[in-house]
Amino acid sequence: MSEPQAASRAPARDAGGAAPGLLLLAPALLTVVAFFLYPLGYSLAGAFRAADGAWTLANFAKSFELYSRDIVFTVAIIGLSTLLIALFSVAIGGYLTLGENRTAVAILRWLYRWPLFIPFIVAGQLMRAFLARNGMLNNALMAMDVLDPADAQSFLDWRGIVIAFVWKQTPFVALLVAGAMATLDRSTIEAARNLGAGRLRILVEIVVPQVRTTLVVGLVLSFVTMMSVLSVPLMINAQSPTMITVDMAFRINAYGDYGVANALGFLSCALTGAVAWIYLRHGIRERSRQ
Amino acid sequence: MISRRLFLAAAALGALAAAPLEAQVTINVVTAGDQNMVDYITDFLAPQFEKLNPGVRVRASGTGPGDAGSQKIYEKLAAQQKAGTQSWDVDVAVVHQKMAGTMVQEKLLAAYRNAIETGKLVTRDTAKRALGADVDGYVLPMFHSQTALAYNPAMVSTPPKTYDELVAWVKANPKKFGYNGIKGGMSGVAFVVGWIYAYGGMTEKLLAGPYDSNAKNAWNPSLASLKEFNKNVTLTPGNAGTLDALNRGEIAMGPVWVDMFYTWVADGKLPPTLKLQILGPGMPGQPMYYVIPAKAAQAEVAKKFVAFATSPQIQAEGIVKRFNWYPGIDAEHVKPQLDEKTWSKLFSDVTPKDLSEKGKPFPLGSYFTDILEAYERKVAN
Repeated sequence: MSEPQAASRAPARDAGGAAPGLLLLAPALLTVVAFFLYPLGYSLAGAFRAADGAWTLANFAKSFELYSRDIVFTVAIIGLSTLLIALFSVAIGGYLTLGENRTAVAILRWLYRWPLFIPFIVAGQLMRAFLARNGMLNNALMAMDVLDPADAQSFLDWRGIVIAFVWKQTPFVALLVAGAMATLDRSTIEAARNLGAGRLRILVEIVVPQVRTTLVVGLVLSFVTMMSVLSVPLMINAQSPTMITVDMAFRINAYGDYGVANALGFLSCALTGAVAWIYLRHGIRERSRQ
Repeated sequence: MISRRLFLAAAALGALAAAPLEAQVTINVVTAGDQNMVDYITDFLAPQFEKLNPGVRVRASGTGPGDAGSQKIYEKLAAQQKAGTQSWDVDVAVVHQKMAGTMVQEKLLAAYRNAIETGKLVTRDTAKRALGADVDGYVLPMFHSQTALAYNPAMVSTPPKTYDELVAWVKANPKKFGYNGIKGGMSGVAFVVGWIYAYGGMTEKLLAGPYDSNAKNAWNPSLASLKEFNKNVTLTPGNAGTLDALNRGEIAMGPVWVDMFYTWVADGKLPPTLKLQILGPGMPGQPMYYVIPAKAAQAEVAKKFVAFATSPQIQAEGIVKRFNWYPGIDAEHVKPQLDEKTWSKLFSDVTPKDLSEKGKPFPLGSYFTDILEAYERKVAN
């Protein structure tokens, strides 16, 4: 009785230091594996399987045959949105940091975060009523005699998606960028100002280079978020081409075809993966510099 | 030992406690579809049925919208059949057409229609055939929903009556007709299916089979003309998008679900001046069916429940008046139960004659899939 007990006690004592730590980690680790890694692996593998379970590339062939335009469209839309988000968030952050009219700065500071609290689907619904041909935007322009009713056009196409994405994601990036700008050493700005640099020049040449890392991080996160949005293109864009997420939903809802949906998912994972890789490389370079 | 004796005692006590409740019968009604279907059963049908049948309780649950919802009901029943269970825990189910066919073929359903009184009041052939599958005797339609062309009489004086006339009209009035393609909801899908019925030249085959995987090649000319047609239409975001665009006067006409249209008018989201008509040769619609599983635990009460739910009075009050659906049983039997206003609202634009002539079912499942994919390949790409 006593001998095996003693034998088993020894290794337990050795691992004693690590065991409680592992035990504490286990629930979180299991959750990640069971609810994230396993389904992810499952659907990535599903992209390479036919309905009968055999390995195949047919799902990718079909994805490219039917949806290659949509893939290009998705990248173009999100690329353009990311660019505009960068411009607007730098402009907002810049004004918050360098603006001289205190009231304007206070109002902007209060106002710009609002879209952060609005879910994408609500943003989609807002834009649908706002951007339609006889929607609020055009009606307001017509009432101000800026726009002739005959020339009114609907923005419910790719432009609507870009507007919704930029409106929704700019505050997020602006929040990060403005925070980074606020922690900058003001002396560099003051020095430039003393030498007679204008505010725009200070922003572009002094401020933005110093917050570049934060800006890139914010943009990468926005890119990944926008890749996954279904509601906005579904609610705003009626035309084809459309975004990959809509095609994925359609493959599943109309055909029960998880194979092609998974293949499209694989492709969007690859796209976001490429962007994440840029982000990581950037991070490593920053760290090695420190 | 002690614990076992305790357990027995507890069981005996439990049995005693349950004894007075034995008069209580609970039937499980499981429905596919949106939450409104569950609400309809819980709030409208159940209280009245329980009042008429003391000791009976109706428990309703939903499995979610679309064919996926019906699929879940099928899986539940198939699992109990496989396990050899003698009494199944679903007494009445409400399912879509596609699944009804499969369920009949796999012997999951009871042939109950001729055993109940209201079974004789059904006239439409959807009670006999569901997307090509023989379901005669096994199903009773709860309601029919239908797609139609909604138009704004202020913008169109003589609305097109057929697809041909629509094509000519759209050419003369570019961008004034709108629909939601195939990825934004079923009203656009129905419009496309109607287009294939009109120009694909094989409607009978699409509805009755047999399935031929090469048939889709014959649709190419009609899809090419649809692509051409699409250049002059406004594409809307979703079923609701079409109705919104009609409301804002951006388009003069577009395909819609009749029940959704009337609900929007009743809610004040559409002007009541808008009108409906079904384009010839036909536009699709679909019923949902009441079915009773082959080994339903409370089959007798279930039959009573379906007979009650398909009685002319309930069909008039619940299906027509509350939801603006077309009745599942023959509309003529429902008419005496309705006031003139409700009847004329539902049947003045689209007459019962239009419905029987131009209200078509959706095609066989495999053809349906082929039509959608052919659209993606040839029209949207």
